[in-house]
Amino acid sequence: MPVTIVVPQLGESVVEGTVGKWLKKEGDPIAKDEPIVEIITDKINIELPAPAAGTLGKITIPEGTVAQVGQELGVILGPGESLPAGGGGAGAPAGARATPQRQQESPARPAPSAGPGGAPQGGAPAREPARAGAAVAEPSYTDDQRLSPAVRKLVKEHSLDLSGIRGSGTGGRVTREDVLNHIEAGKVAVSAGAPRPGGPQAQPGKAPTPAPTQPTRPIPAPAFTQPGSREEEVQPLTNVRKKIAENMLRSRHSAAHCATWDEVDMTDLVELRARLKERALATYGVKLTYMPFIIKAVVRALREYPVLNASMTETEIHFKKYYNIGVAVHRDQGLIVPVVHDADRKTLLQIAQEIEDLGVRARSDKLTLNDIQGGTFTVTNAGMFGATASTPIINYPEVGVLGVHLIQERPVVRDHRIVIRQMMTLVLSFDHRLVDGTPAVQFLHRVKELLEDPEGWLLDSI
Amino acid sequence: MTSPIAAYDLGRIPYGEALEFQRRAVSSRAAGARGDAIWFAEHEPVLTVGRAGRAESLRASEAMLLARGVAIVPVERGGDITYHGPGQIVAYPILALSDLPSGRDLHRYLRDLEEVLIQALAAYGLRAGRRPPYTGVWVGELKVAAIGVAVRRWITFHGFALNVDPDLTHFDWIHPCGIRDLGVTSLRSLLGEPPPKAHVLARLRESFAEVWHRPVVETPWNAGEESSAREPLHA
Repeated sequence: MPVTIVVPQLGESVVEGTVGKWLKKEGDPIAKDEPIVEIITDKINIELPAPAAGTLGKITIPEGTVAQVGQELGVILGPGESLPAGGGGAGAPAGARATPQRQQESPARPAPSAGPGGAPQGGAPAREPARAGAAVAEPSYTDDQRLSPAVRKLVKEHSLDLSGIRGSGTGGRVTREDVLNHIEAGKVAVSAGAPRPGGPQAQPGKAPTPAPTQPTRPIPAPAFTQPGSREEEVQPLTNVRKKIAENMLRSRHSAAHCATWDEVDMTDLVELRARLKERALATYGVKLTYMPFIIKAVVRALREYPVLNASMTETEIHFKKYYNIGVAVHRDQGLIVPVVHDADRKTLLQIAQEIEDLGVRARSDKLTLNDIQGGTFTVTNAGMFGATASTPIINYPEVGVLGVHLIQERPVVRDHRIVIRQMMTLVLSFDHRLVDGTPAVQFLHRVKELLEDPEGWLLDSI
Repeated sequence: MTSPIAAYDLGRIPYGEALEFQRRAVSSRAAGARGDAIWFAEHEPVLTVGRAGRAESLRASEAMLLARGVAIVPVERGGDITYHGPGQIVAYPILALSDLPSGRDLHRYLRDLEEVLIQALAAYGLRAGRRPPYTGVWVGELKVAAIGVAVRRWITFHGFALNVDPDLTHFDWIHPCGIRDLGVTSLRSLLGEPPPKAHVLARLRESFAEVWHRPVVETPWNAGEESSAREPLHA
């Protein structure tokens, strides 16, 4: 009898693995216990031993595909045996059936029995696989699913097909609650629409659509309701994009994000920078932007509010006595945050030069590991593209990120008169787990003070 | 369950040789011809690429590596690219998973290896820890030990590499384990100077014994015996 190769239990927290490499090809002879296929989970690669001797009749799951514990990977045939029609090994009927269910998570799959007009999307998500013969009444399960006796009994009593029930237990195991929920859900569908002899397996899309969807004159459906009828371009996710997504989510999930903002009068700094800019360019060939001033002001304020230059673990706070300021750089490949190391020990000119260099190298993919490591606080300039305010995502595990924005003339009140000043919105996103509101606001206010009166501190600045 | 695990120090041997020895040892362990063992070794600079290896994880040019005699070896362990070199203690536990307290639990095995390292490093006053979702052992944001494991016939091989005093600039050749935004460190960087290797080995043996509740017995290594793949070292 053909023997199915399934993903075995690989550990309590292991519910799936990626098929690494098939060590045998279809048709290869196989000895029992011989390594036959690799499964990769986390940093472990395990070679599964063949459950029986014979020849490899079929590879069900190709390399690089994720397989669930209990899922059929392939079939081993004994001497003189051939694959039964319809695929899977006869030795594991339910295992083979579980495969299509898990692969067709997409609700867009058209159900053959969907109502007229083919618009089942509005109903409940089509969890149940669209099985051709809906009247299959015999219960089916496999030992791999290790049903408890109570669940087994329930399944039998209600003549349920396990492949239609989504397991919430370890490794996708079907629990008593899953079965009860399934029965409950089926009852709702049945009572709302036409009951079917097949039991609670009624097609969800069909039941609640008797009268309203059959108008006397058909109204043409808008094009966008037809899946696939609009042009879409599909691009693979680059690793850079994957990493960005991962980092952003990690930050969102790990930190308690909170933002505070303030208006800064940049008029003095705009004038000062305009004068210094010429000299920096003429004498040193350096493009002096606002960023070095902002970084210097930030470092000064960080010294006074060290909790913003810290990070935390489950049990400790790490106050950093060095000031490595990340500067978010936009590039076509995707955002990256190179770091100006030891910004407290560098001059405005040095910082200006370094930012320019990091930007150039970031865009040409020439950053080294060191360039992007070790940041303690980040500054991001959304103003470069015209934003007047934004709430940046914390560059986790740092606890603060300062968003700087467009400097523009705005009317403000000074000495009871409305005057025009060069204004900028500063936003501080901070991790409220570690940073209380008071130091956050005070820190931001300190940065504001420093930027509003640059000549007051630039003299003694390194 | 409480049978001893033999701990061998292979000294500095070429990576390829150690790999060959491991594969043979797995077969003989599976056949019951040898008992559970942990091998410690040190290698000349080499890059190894696990099953999750990606081309982008290599940063150095192959020409430069070739010129330095650094091989890139594809191996059957899990994980991406990693570096081995002098100053690193590499540990290869070759044992039957079912003989461990946690049994055939792959993730638990990884967590156990991390625990061994965390406990061993605690002896130097270092608060090392995990950084989910990454496997490995970290001090702050820096990785001090990398882990990559293979299992064949339910016997483990490959293992971990602890940076005692390697040339950390060599890690610039790669994105270690494919992780780009976190760095690497060593006991030398963390402590100012590296502890003696024999001392670290002793600590690791103790931690293994503690984590797995099995005696770990220092055993002299006989390379000749290993290469002839005969070793009936103990029952």
